[in-house]
Amino acid sequence: MEIIEKKQNDILIFRLNGRLDSNTSPGLEEKIFEAIESGSYKMIIDFEALDYISSAGLRVLNKSIKRLKHNEGMLILCSMQDYIKEVFEIAGFDSFLTIVSTVDEALTKL
Amino acid sequence: MEKDSNWKISFEFRNSLSELDTLRRSLEEFGKSLGMSKKSIFQINLAMEEVFANIISHGYADDEEHWIKITMWHQDGTLILRIEDDGIPFNPVEAEAPDLECPLEEREIGGLGCYLIKCLMNDIVYERSGNKNILTMKKTIGEA
Repeated sequence: MEIIEKKQNDILIFRLNGRLDSNTSPGLEEKIFEAIESGSYKMIIDFEALDYISSAGLRVLNKSIKRLKHNEGMLILCSMQDYIKEVFEIAGFDSFLTIVSTVDEALTKL
Repeated sequence: MEKDSNWKISFEFRNSLSELDTLRRSLEEFGKSLGMSKKSIFQINLAMEEVFANIISHGYADDEEHWIKITMWHQDGTLILRIEDDGIPFNPVEAEAPDLECPLEEREIGGLGCYLIKCLMNDIVYERSGNKNILTMKKTIGEA
């Protein structure tokens, strides 16, 4: 999986390309936690180019949002394919993660 | 890849997450050959990763190399996946589901993989035979 990051004012945008699975999830966790350590507390993760997620990916997002909330930060997910969004719904993750349609929409919420 | 007259395909994978990509490609190829939708192929891949990762993380008390055998075939409009491992007895069908109503901070995340498998597959059966766990999962081929 490729992770592209961009800073827009005080908001950090991660764009994921490929698969968020047992092998690639630790890499995303490292990136997110590094960013939190260096003081970024507002994040968007763009799922447009992501075509796979497993529970390993969900676990990283769960850990990240817990940590960000602890710092009064925020994480917004956007541009998910329908079949990936369905996994968030089945897992009940849509109840505590904000999921919106586009990056622009995510930016208005931060 | 071995194919017999009933088009059963069998693979043996080492107990290593580095095998996931090969496993995924095999599933994608087989799913596509049966005309399964992108969503169904995604769901069988997800279920298979959860089973495989569980076996690797929790199945073995030693550091030895083990082999996990995966067999797939289709029958009456259904894709059947059978996973055999020689790890400690573990029945994912009976694994406790995560409490989805529980507040985020208190939520146990361990049972999530097993819960997803049960939601995404049409049928899942576990049996223990000798020193082997045998898990059989079924997915209807025609689903969108």
